[in-house]
Amino acid sequence: MSSFALTTGALVRDTLREAMARKIFWGLFGLSSAMILFFLFLLKIDIVEGAVASVSLFGGESREMSVERIVQGFYGGIAAFLYSFGMFLAVFASSGLTPSLLEPGRIELLLSKPVSRPHLLLGRYLGNLLVVSANIVWLVVGVWLILGWKAGIWRPNFLVTMASTIFLFAVLLTVVFLIGVLWESSALATMVPVALMIVSPILAQEKTMVKLLSSEWSRQLWKTLYAILPKVFDLGRMTMDHVRQRPVESWYPVWSSGLFGICMLALAIWVFTRRDF
Amino acid sequence: MGTAPAVEARDLVKVYRTAWRRREIRALDGVSFSVEPGTTFGLLGPNGAGKTTFVKTLLSSVHPTAGTTRVFGVDSRTPEARRPIGYLPENHRFPTYFTGAGMLDLYGSLSGMDSRERKRRIPELLDLVGLAQWADVRIGKYSKGMLQRVGLAQALIHRPRLLILDEPTDGVDPVGRIHIRKILQGLEGTGVTIFLNSHMLSEVELFCRDVAIMHKGKVALSGSVRELTSDKGYRLTIPAEAPMLPEGLRAKLESTSAHTGARNGVASYHFTTRDAANQAIDACREARHPVEALEPTRSTLEELFIRTVDSSTTAGER
Repeated sequence: MSSFALTTGALVRDTLREAMARKIFWGLFGLSSAMILFFLFLLKIDIVEGAVASVSLFGGESREMSVERIVQGFYGGIAAFLYSFGMFLAVFASSGLTPSLLEPGRIELLLSKPVSRPHLLLGRYLGNLLVVSANIVWLVVGVWLILGWKAGIWRPNFLVTMASTIFLFAVLLTVVFLIGVLWESSALATMVPVALMIVSPILAQEKTMVKLLSSEWSRQLWKTLYAILPKVFDLGRMTMDHVRQRPVESWYPVWSSGLFGICMLALAIWVFTRRDF
Repeated sequence: MGTAPAVEARDLVKVYRTAWRRREIRALDGVSFSVEPGTTFGLLGPNGAGKTTFVKTLLSSVHPTAGTTRVFGVDSRTPEARRPIGYLPENHRFPTYFTGAGMLDLYGSLSGMDSRERKRRIPELLDLVGLAQWADVRIGKYSKGMLQRVGLAQALIHRPRLLILDEPTDGVDPVGRIHIRKILQGLEGTGVTIFLNSHMLSEVELFCRDVAIMHKGKVALSGSVRELTSDKGYRLTIPAEAPMLPEGLRAKLESTSAHTGARNGVASYHFTTRDAANQAIDACREARHPVEALEPTRSTLEELFIRTVDSSTTAGER
């Protein structure tokens, strides 16, 4: 194994161990598992000749619906959950992992090893991303398998939710890391990405707002902010479109959000490389 | 490369600036010295002298404002320069979620050791530092002394050529201190350079061959411990009360001696040259006054340290 791979493996392992010790991994895993168990035991779908005869949740209400529609509904619900509450939890859980790396007495020892600073930070980033990704994969694949087994419908489109959620988290995690290396504050590292998530649906109303705003500079400011910041809302909408087998209108939210993430990560590395510890 | 100093600093300057007032603090002010490979070196200085900043600069966790540091001839800013270094920081914070063996495995991997090598080396080191039975216990349960020992094992894991120890016996009980010292003594003569940053002057004096004393960001004094502490003096001890010291002899001795002191009925006179000591003996014989002892003297490192810091402070005030 090359020295680079060995070091990367060690950094990722360290992050995973810390995430487990801080119960971050187990918290997310527990939540994902609870949702899987919910679908496994509490959702009952009776299919008669290819159509849903009854659907029951908690053994209660039941009505006739098409199988396709009910499965799409669940897919959409899971995707919406991942993009809102799930993303908040993932950011919240990750916010302490950068400041803990920079704790006095720990960072000096890590920096004394033959590892470059960008490598050190990227190893941590990769470890953090893996912790959350593993849980997203577990949840999405688990729900997909259970719904497939119960409803007999296997739509691979839903699996795209996995990729798009991991992608969005990867983008927001760069902000968590930048705040972490700048101020070592886990509270701020949670607040800023969550603020980006909240502001995203508002900024996404670009066409409407441009008409409503009176001054040219405010219109330009709106457009600039929309162009620069990650498009959480648009990415969510794209995912939902894909899940519902609608065509994707534009890939702009993907590449512009990716570019934002790359810039944030580069900035975090630059700050980390220049800092004294 | 083989003859390059283990550590080399040239005109090293580190200036910290406060965030808002832009006030300057010169932590290192033109530090230059080198440490030969295979020696034991002690870096001394009062709190705030710049010792830790120097070590951090050497390990690249602090960026110098000016000047250079090299480790075995390699610019210390490159990760490769840190490959031969084993380091134990002063206020270390090891990840408490690891066991002793797990932590050594992590730092071994980060030092570039492959899995087979780590598996062989970890039990060997835990045994060396007396923690073999604690290998699978989480570090959070370790005492301060045990943390220092596992920290030392961490620093030794990849068989470093340069071992940098920042206060290695800090918080360790006397037995643990002797244990650590024995481990370090076991490394002497193996080609490993030991760079000790410590407040424990007696320990440095016992263990180090060379020292540098830092004060206010500068190297105030450097050299071998033997040379620096041997001030080639002689101490003459004579009875001062029974029999009483004749006034004439007292005046004569006091006029030629560098230091005097009297305690428990005996007087001590310190002479800086052998001739002066001989003349004092002659004077005692002439006055028929008994001599208790005449012995060569050495300064302790503590005395040297205090003298150096005092004179450096005085020079700075002037």
